[in-house]
Amino acid sequence: MINANADAFSAEQDLPSKEMVINLGPSHPAMHGTVRVRARLDGETLRKMELDIGFLHRGFEKSSENSTWTQVLPYTDRLNYVSPLLNNVGYIMAVEKLIGIKDPERSQYIRVIAGEISRICDHLTCLGAMALELGAFTAFLYGIEARELLWDRVTELTGARMTTSWTRIGGVANDLPDGWAEKLKKTLPKVAELREEMDKLLTKNRIFIDRCKGVGEITQEEAVSYGFTGPCLRATGIDYDVRKAHPYLVYDRLDWTVPVGTRGDTFDRYLVRVEEMRLSEKMILQCLAQMPEGDYIVRDYRYALPPKSEVYSSIEGAMAHFKLIMEGTQVPAGEVYSYTEGANGELGWFLVSNGKGKPYRVHVRAPGFTILSALPRLCEGHLLSDLVPTFDSINMIGGEVEQ
Amino acid sequence: MSKISLERLQARFPKDVLAVETLPHGDDVARVRREAIVEICHFLRDDPELDFKMLSDLTIIDSLTRRSEAFGGSSRASMEAPPHVRQQPSEAAVRFTVIYQLYSITKKHRVRLKADLDDKEPHLESVSSLWKTANWLERAAFDLFGVKFDGHPNMERIFLYPEFKGYPLRKDYPVNKRQPLVEERNFPDLVRGPGPGPGGAGVPMSQTLVGRINVNRETYD
Repeated sequence: MINANADAFSAEQDLPSKEMVINLGPSHPAMHGTVRVRARLDGETLRKMELDIGFLHRGFEKSSENSTWTQVLPYTDRLNYVSPLLNNVGYIMAVEKLIGIKDPERSQYIRVIAGEISRICDHLTCLGAMALELGAFTAFLYGIEARELLWDRVTELTGARMTTSWTRIGGVANDLPDGWAEKLKKTLPKVAELREEMDKLLTKNRIFIDRCKGVGEITQEEAVSYGFTGPCLRATGIDYDVRKAHPYLVYDRLDWTVPVGTRGDTFDRYLVRVEEMRLSEKMILQCLAQMPEGDYIVRDYRYALPPKSEVYSSIEGAMAHFKLIMEGTQVPAGEVYSYTEGANGELGWFLVSNGKGKPYRVHVRAPGFTILSALPRLCEGHLLSDLVPTFDSINMIGGEVEQ
Repeated sequence: MSKISLERLQARFPKDVLAVETLPHGDDVARVRREAIVEICHFLRDDPELDFKMLSDLTIIDSLTRRSEAFGGSSRASMEAPPHVRQQPSEAAVRFTVIYQLYSITKKHRVRLKADLDDKEPHLESVSSLWKTANWLERAAFDLFGVKFDGHPNMERIFLYPEFKGYPLRKDYPVNKRQPLVEERNFPDLVRGPGPGPGGAGVPMSQTLVGRINVNRETYD
């Protein structure tokens, strides 16, 4: 009897097992945006994984080449729709670098504040979604509530929650609304409370740790070779942050440090993002304290629209307005590679102008693109279920990756 | 800032580096012979003083209409140059230029490499053996520009579907062209007609499907 049972057990072990190919996405709740994964499974282990992207390809670069320099701006919102302000700032700074102008000091502070708000929103969304897909619905709700609080402020500032299109060549579209800074100062503690709540729910959560620690690890050398930037690179322990390595705007006047991880796994990427949210809040408060009065956009009407009062009352104003609207900003011929720190890493813009009102070539170096290309490397050899937190932690944004 | 990288590059490859330049806003650019691209990249990556361990970006410029647009009145990208411009001998015969943006995390400097390609059957040696990120970047460049990278492990389209004809970011690819994989249904856009961009096919409001139902013919057109 006992022998027979043992035989049956070993026979079961020897059953021939075949590798199985399964298909996730492009329309799948865990595949943010529209990414298709073709995975070869051995049991539950991912043996081989191929990514199929491009379902969201909209021809961003082609559209940009057929628009004026300012008309490209709304397209940049749609690249990373979770932190559009950072894209706006990155693009406009590239154009300004090509022209060779600098925006006024106040505008620089406003850009930093807006950008850091966007960064917090981006990280909240990323971590919230990550928690949600691991079964922690509450943490997701806290994250989204905090994001909505900030988006209220963004709405007051720009008039839109996501499609902000708010920066302008030489500055920003409008000054801070009356009393906005005070409102923001009241909002930030509420956001901090929700963020800390989320942090408490997740960081020491047994299930969350088990699902994330040691999953999707990558070494420093490999991460650099794959072109990792942003939180994913810093999770491996390399302290490369464009804001620190090549300070732009007023980041060199703010007091902050770059948080880094040690192992480069999913849990470290999570921790780095949580810490960055705290730092962003700190930076916003410092900016509000330091911010000087003054212009929020340059008074050079070759690049910036004159105020309406001048358009309607003076011939120079009317002419400048007409030329800018009809012909577009005249950017001198040349080319430039400009880079800022987006929410997910180095957001690079390669612009070519041939001296007319339209860009000859616009190319965006989306941080997510290079990071996503490493996803098979991060996941192969792990369980299929580990794909979900790893994919969440690199925070792939379909808009920028698939252009 | 990283003058040193250009100097070292020139000293090491006197024949293969055709020109170096530091642009007014600080970008360092080196134009190199396309045959030596892998060798040069290998040197830049492994030289301890330069240490370009990261390939930030790789892209391509199509210079087909660069001059004609600049001198041909209103710039209409993706349209053919007007005849009087086309007849003039073009200044730069080179059409495709591959752009590499390299970055060194330890030295905090950048350099941009440029390699001009042949007009017919543009192709270049792949650098995917040096930087892993080049794999996808080169695929994207191939997908949108049709430049082949020799020695690439998987030279296939990345964004577009395999049945797609032509390369959309080339300047002679019309901006309004559509080639859907699944046939588009006959449902005209209320305002623009088919195709992206303003103007479209200019279907009168009353002839659109929505218009026929909702719009009084007497009121419009």
